[in-house]
This record gives sequence, C-alpha cells and structure tokens, in this order.
Amino acid sequence: MLQKKVCMIGEFATGKTSLVSQFVHSIFSEKYQTTVGVKIDKKEIEINNKKVNLILWDLHGEDEFQKLRLSYLRGSSGFLLVADGTRSHTLRKAVDLKERVEKEVGKIPFILMLNKWDLQEEWEIEESEVNKLLANAWTVIKSSAKSGLGVEEAFQTLTLKILEE
Amino acid sequence: MDNPLTKESFKNGFENSEELLELRSLLLDIEPSKVNKLYESLDNLEVKAEDISKILPEAVILSSQKEEYLSSAMVSTVEKAIHESVSNDLNILTKAIFPIIGPAIRKAVATAFDDMLQSMNQALEHSLSLKSFQWRLEAQRTGKSFAEIVLLRTLIYRVEQVFLIHQNNGLLLNHIVAPQVSTQDPELVSGMLSAIQDFVHDSFQTNKQDILQSMDFGDLSIWIETGPSAILAAIIRGNAPQDLRLVLQNSIEKIHLKFDRELHNFDGDTESFEDTKPYLEDCLQSKYKPRGKKNYTFAWFFLSGIAIAIAILSFFAIRERLRWEKFVHKLDSQPGIRVVNYGRRANKYYVLGMRDPLAIHPQRLIEQNNLKPEQVNFEWESYTSHESEFLLKRTIEILQPPKTVSIDVDKSGSVVVSGSAPRKWILSARNSWRFIPGIINFRENNLVEIEISKLDNYKQQVEKTVLFFIEKTTNLSPKQDKKLENLAINVQKLIDTSRLINREIFIEVIGHSNKLGTAKVNKIISQKRGEKILNYLKSRDINPRNMAAVGVGYQQPLKIGSKRNNQNKLGVVETRVTFKVFLDRE
Repeated sequence: MLQKKVCMIGEFATGKTSLVSQFVHSIFSEKYQTTVGVKIDKKEIEINNKKVNLILWDLHGEDEFQKLRLSYLRGSSGFLLVADGTRSHTLRKAVDLKERVEKEVGKIPFILMLNKWDLQEEWEIEESEVNKLLANAWTVIKSSAKSGLGVEEAFQTLTLKILEE
Repeated sequence: MDNPLTKESFKNGFENSEELLELRSLLLDIEPSKVNKLYESLDNLEVKAEDISKILPEAVILSSQKEEYLSSAMVSTVEKAIHESVSNDLNILTKAIFPIIGPAIRKAVATAFDDMLQSMNQALEHSLSLKSFQWRLEAQRTGKSFAEIVLLRTLIYRVEQVFLIHQNNGLLLNHIVAPQVSTQDPELVSGMLSAIQDFVHDSFQTNKQDILQSMDFGDLSIWIETGPSAILAAIIRGNAPQDLRLVLQNSIEKIHLKFDRELHNFDGDTESFEDTKPYLEDCLQSKYKPRGKKNYTFAWFFLSGIAIAIAILSFFAIRERLRWEKFVHKLDSQPGIRVVNYGRRANKYYVLGMRDPLAIHPQRLIEQNNLKPEQVNFEWESYTSHESEFLLKRTIEILQPPKTVSIDVDKSGSVVVSGSAPRKWILSARNSWRFIPGIINFRENNLVEIEISKLDNYKQQVEKTVLFFIEKTTNLSPKQDKKLENLAINVQKLIDTSRLINREIFIEVIGHSNKLGTAKVNKIISQKRGEKILNYLKSRDINPRNMAAVGVGYQQPLKIGSKRNNQNKLGVVETRVTFKVFLDRE
C-alpha cells in the first residue's frame, strides 16, 4: 500500500475541516486541532488502478492566537492550501503560507482551493488575482463544503501531481 | 621536517652499507630478516586471504561476545547461503536438520498445548469465583468479552500493539496487534503519535535529539524507542519491566540495520517493510500473575469430562456402527436379497438393493440385530431369485400341491413330483410348471392318481368279498348281512370312481356250488346264487349295466390249504358267491 502525507493549511475559518469531513475516514474529533493543533484523517484515492492512502494532516488555521506549527509539515508529499472566497485576505494569507511551507519543506505539489463557492453573492476574490496565480503555474480549484464541489477533484489532482514527482 | 626520512631514501642511501645495517639492528633491536618482511608487507597493501583466514575465527568469536551486530549483519548472507544450498541439493539440509525436526515439533506442540491448558484453566477457574461476577459485570459494561476481562485482570503487563513509524513523515510502516485486542485505524494513530512528538518538541522547546519516551494513561502506557529513521511505539497495558525497553531498543536497532536503505529511500510504499514483522513480534510480550504452582485441576477436570463424554458417545456410535454392518452383512447373505448400496444420510440408515418377494422380510432382521426399524429406510427393486430354495417355494406356491404330494427341485431346475394326487391336479401340474420362472423340466417319480389307487382299493374290497349260501339252496348263510351291506357300498364306490376317471369296469358275480350234486344242477344253482346277489345289488339302486351273474358250479373249487378249504371239509364253504372286477386299460 502506498501512503502519502498531505497537509491542509489555510487561515482560520476557511472551512478546511468542513470541506473534507464528509469525504474522509476519521477517528479523531475536531478538538484535537485546538489542543494539539492538528487532526489526522485518511482518504483513499485510486489512480490508474493503484490505491493510494492520503494521510491528511488537517492543521489548525492560523490566527492571531495560534501560529501554524511548521514542524507538522515535515515529510509531507503535498498540501492543500485553502482560502475563503468570501474573505479576500485569506487568499493573500494562503500565498504567504505557501511561501512559508516551501521554505520549511521545499517545493512540493499543492492545490489552492477557493472555498465557499456556494456563497458566490458574497465572493470577494477578484478573477484577476486568481489569474495571476494561474499564470504562476498554480492549480486553483473552486470548492464548496456544502455541495462537495471540487473536493474529489482536488484530491485526485493533488495525488496525480504527487505521483508524477 | 624539510627532508623527511622516507623508506626509499633510507634504503637508497644506505642500502649497501654494512654499518648502517648493523646500526639499525642495534638501534631497533630487530633482526634484519624481520625488518625486510615488514617492508614487504608494506609494499604489498592487498589483503591476503590467507592472513584473514588466520584471524577471522577469532574476530567472529570476539564480535559475538561483545555485540549482536555481527549476527544481524550475517543474517542476509546466511539466508542466501541456505537458499542456495536448498536450490542445489535439498537432501543435504534435509539430512542435517532431520534429527531436530521431530523434537522441535513435539516441543512446539507441547508448548502450545500448555498455553492452551493454562489459558483455559484460568478462564474456567475464574469463571467460578466470586471475582468472576464482578468481571462479568465489567465485561457487560465495557462491551468486551469475559475472557478478555479475565486476561486483563490477571495480567501484570502485556504489549498490545506495536507501531513502526517513519521518523520523517509519521507514516505507518508496519503494525502488529496482540490477539483479542481491538484497535483503531493504525495509520491515523501513527500520524497522531508522530504529531504529539512534534507537539511536545515545539511546545517545550526540547533538544532535537530528545524524544518523548513514554506516555501514561491509567493502566495504559506508550513506550517509544527512536532510531535515526524510524520510531517504534509499543502500547502496553499494565506495568512493564524496564527489560522490555531493551527489547524495543534491540528491535529498532535490528530494523535499522536490515532496512537502512529502505528507510532512507522511503517514498510511501510500505510493502518492503512487511519483513519487519518478526522484529515487531519480539516486542509483543506479556506476563500474567504468577501462580504458586501450575494447577490444571479445572482444565483437567473439564477435559476429562469432555474425554469421558466423547468416549461414551464413541462407544455407542461404534456399537451401533458394528450392529449396522452386521445387519447389512446378514441381510446381504439372505437368499433372495442382494444389497447394492447402503449408508447413512440425514441421520437415517438406508439400504438399496434387490429383493425376491419370497425372501425374508428385512424388518425381522432389524429387530434381531437390536436396531430400531424407524432408523432404516429400504428401497427394493423386485427380482426373481433362481436359488433352489426359492424355486421350490415358488413351485409350491404356484402348483399348490395336495398334502399327499412331495415336491423337490434339483440343481438343474427340474421339478420332481412324487406321491399321490387327484387326477385333476396332476393334469394341471403337467401344464402349469412351464410358467414357473427358473423351472426347466417336470418329472414324475411314482406319482399316482388318487382315483386309480382308490379304484384298485375298491376292486380289491369287492373281489375279497365272499358270500356263503346254505347248501343246496339259494339262501344266504346266517351273518352275511353285514358283508352284503359292505359289498353294496364298495360296488357303488367302484362304479362312481371309475366314472370319475372315465374307466370302464365290469363286475362278474360268480356263483359256486359244492361237488355233491350233478354238474348241471350245480351249474343252475350256482347261477341262481349269482343272480340273487345281482338282484340284491340292483335293489340297492346300483346300475347293473356293467355287471353280470355267472354260475360256475364246482369248476373253481377253493384252493387246498386255505381257511376256506378247511371249512370245505365240512362241505359248507363251497356254496358261495365271489366277485371278479375287470378294468379296461387306460
């Protein structure tokens, strides 16, 4: 069995945990995030008839009270960067986090997920900002924890990128 | 030093100098030949196999005494050597290990049995104690099995799970669990254990080399041993001795030694770590509360009970089996029965075969063999047996012979009939035998028609009758009435019987006289005597058609010597009537 460590990072309340909660196998409660700072889940992906177990390290969102524990990133094969589409500053935070992650673990595959796409009327992130990122070879997927939009696609795409490394 | 004294300069400068050699010998106190040898070995830096062979055994012994690295390092080579040996010639290793295989198996079986006995004894013993009620309640409350609770409450410690976790990314490399231990998803637990390590490092700013060695939670402890690339985490219930830590250290060291390359190149594929299982299993240790003395009373009692029950059941089963086999054998040996198949299905015995309807009924044999009739199902195909016993039975059944007839069937299939029987039966039998299966011939051996026999009998009775007359008269002598009466009856029967079998008869009523008168007179009077009897018979409604009276006078005197001849002397008995019966030929 092939296993890969994947981290989920993003600012506080971008909906990371809700985004994947219905798609992953979990034995730990959300309280772990506020205490230990991470909650670990598992997602089984099948690509080209090959099963891959993604061990998801759902890191506590960074805010003024709690910093991201960079040591949790050690050994990651990839990461999901989550921003809240209804709060534009979370995207800038995501860009900042990405740089910090790469500084810690080097360049590894990642996907940017613009979450809460179900709240389009409150959408704050400009297309131009997204296009800039796309121009820098970022992979951006719009997602919704409510409808499940983009979640499977994000896992599949990230796993594919990891395996291509 | 600007001009260091090298070996070459030393040699070149003073090679031919006798003084120098002497000086060197004096200064170093070494013989010149030994110095030369030293130079030679310095010139030839290649290691000589001969030299290594001298020191290798000693080096191996020293290494074995100090560390276990040498044996671990040699594992792979020895394994390959054994594999090669088996591939080349299986017999060499087979012969070598043959003497130890038997004892090893016996020891393994004895140990396994001992463990089973001890575990069973523990469960049985505790299942009857007061404590057991508390534990049963605990089992119900916690949802665990009673056996599991017994083990938990009697153990000192037990390693329930062992995790082998990659140091760098927290991914699970291998995981083993002790029997009867329930677990959560080990991959997630492994990640969380790794995260907690990081959490402690970050939170309390410890040295990078420091590790979280243990965590305690009630009677559960987590002991962690770290290697350069992997972590070994043992989940322990109870109080484990410190010696266990040495076991964990030993295992993680061995894993690093053997899987160093795999650990270094780990990319998420855990398949290559399957072989770490034996090292992890070394850590699955446990210890239960010591018992003063191994007491297997409960287990032995329980096992003895089972053994006795099995023995009793076996006895009854074997006895019934033997009875059944005997019954089938006996059934098959019965005339007119052929067993084709038999056995047991759906808790009942069954017999398939062929049976002559005249054969013995199988139910009778069942009871004779102490089996229950309802236990056996029969399926018979009807057939005709040609055994002589059945030919005879069948012949008797079809021919229905009278009691006066004796019937036998010989080996060739011929019916032999003897005795006497009514003509009608004989005629019928002469035709019917052809319809009896298995009979090929019909033979009569002195078979007599009863009617002919009777006819002869009546004929004799009539011919035996002599009626006496008073001399010179046609009057019957006194006391002839009874004879006359019997005569009439016998004549009537004679006629009736002859008619029954279509035989013509003729009765001559012969009148006799004595020699006293003239021949003519005698003739007349004898004729009249005959006619008198004839008339008497007519008066008894006997048809005279086949009868005639004749007078023979004194032509047929009584023979000399007979009783009647004695009377003849008195001149009385000659005056009589006798009878002659003629039967036509068949």
